[in-house]
Amino acid sequence: MSPELASLLRILAAVGLMLMNGVILIYMLRRVLGRLHQRLGPVHVGPQGLLQTPMDVLKLLTKEDITPTNVDKALYFIAPAAVFTPSLMAYAAIPFSPTWMVTDLDTGLLYTLVVMSLVSMGLLMAGWASANKWSLIGGMRSVGQHIAYEIPLLLSVLPVVMYVGTLNLSSIVEAQSGTWLGILPQWFITNPLFWPAFIIFIVSALIKVNQTPFDMSEAESELVAGFATEYSSMKFGLFFLSEFSNSFIVSALAVTLFFGGWTLPFVPDEVLAPIAPVVFMLKVYVGIFVLMWIRGTLPRVRMDHLMQFAWKILIPAVLTWILVFGFIIKLFDLGRPVG
Amino acid sequence: MWGKGILNGMRITMRNMLRGPITVRYPYERVTLPERARWAVEVVRDESGAHKCTACMTCVRACPDHILDLQFTTAEDKSKHIDYLRYEMGACMMCGLCVEACPFDALKMGQDYELAKLTRDELTVDLLVDVAAAAPARAKKASEVPAGGTDDSRGGGTDG
Ligand code: SF4
Ligand code: SF4
Repeated sequence: MSPELASLLRILAAVGLMLMNGVILIYMLRRVLGRLHQRLGPVHVGPQGLLQTPMDVLKLLTKEDITPTNVDKALYFIAPAAVFTPSLMAYAAIPFSPTWMVTDLDTGLLYTLVVMSLVSMGLLMAGWASANKWSLIGGMRSVGQHIAYEIPLLLSVLPVVMYVGTLNLSSIVEAQSGTWLGILPQWFITNPLFWPAFIIFIVSALIKVNQTPFDMSEAESELVAGFATEYSSMKFGLFFLSEFSNSFIVSALAVTLFFGGWTLPFVPDEVLAPIAPVVFMLKVYVGIFVLMWIRGTLPRVRMDHLMQFAWKILIPAVLTWILVFGFIIKLFDLGRPVG
Repeated sequence: MWGKGILNGMRITMRNMLRGPITVRYPYERVTLPERARWAVEVVRDESGAHKCTACMTCVRACPDHILDLQFTTAEDKSKHIDYLRYEMGACMMCGLCVEACPFDALKMGQDYELAKLTRDELTVDLLVDVAAAAPARAKKASEVPAGGTDDSRGGGTDG
């Protein structure tokens, strides 16, 4: 197979995964939120409401695509793509198993985070192009919170990078195989040294997911639908899809960095090899469930509180922690550089 | 502080999740309403189907929304005939003041909760149409039982 064809197939696989994920996650979200609120969620269309989401997708596809008169036409059309593309690109470096990944980047971690940060630009574009106050405020909020939380997010993964000495996501996963003294899996989450980093990572990653408690840019009770107000049909669908795909990416990153990626403790490599992608996906879905659980529990925070929390608490905290962490691993020579 | 509230909230939602849904799938399932559930106003009827309204007008005056309309004619022997007791269900706030006010317990809050109607006209309900008003005092006098405080004269409403 020619390398071009192979890459094309990989990209298609990523698109397929993203679309499938979108459909599954929407159904899951409805069910999980329903249960968290002691409701049923969708039940009518198909067994257990399973066909509800495919029907919704069909509805979205066949809806009239309205372009309001005063929008900035070019930006209005580019914006959904500018949101969707980075979300898709973020799949590139995620290692699903030792062999299953779109591409094995040496700077995978940096790449994923950088690509994810491009999403907010698309959101601002959408907000600006819509020629609508709600949309603009939504777009501005989104950029504001993304810029604020980008910093703690990037810094919070530094301890992991310092520890293993690489930005390659598969190497980071490999560094977590095995067990501590045969009891605990050697995932970074079982090491108390990584707990502060993990907490900061989760808080700032929630911003990326753009869900309650941090859905300031949509905030339907204040901003109609924020940046997506003027969008309909599949353009809206792309925003929607990108949002769900972001929660997948965030969960996948958390799993890769802190929960040992595809590795399982006590399972020999030969057994693990064929089921690695399944293990990875299961872990990711558990992570997504936790994200939904948070979403179903917490109310939306206020914009100024959000910004204050980032600049006044989170960033100083993460900087301090990096300093302390650096001292600790240097003093006790804890780092385990791979490769 | 320090995220305790967040953890507590997460605990509560998880507990709710484990409890399972409490949804009643309404058109397929129905709950039995609690005994004191109150919906639209209805006329109390005894076993023989007779109503107890004496056309005293108390309920009409008690209703804060002015949606009860009672028209009656008084015959020469002072017995009353109810032309209609009309009730504008769409404007009723189901406060129950008319039921409280009725000295003869002729009204009650019903338990029929499927009150949606297809047309506006259906929201105007005639509770009583063209019936003789009840006259407990007369009935009691006739059977020579001392009148127990109820008095026909209190129903001196305007003639229809
Ligand atoms: S329930 Fe209240 S509003 Fe309705 S008819 Fe009686 S007094 Fe009027
Ligand atoms: S008897 Fe009761 S229902 Fe009849 S007019 Fe008087 S208050 Fe109204």
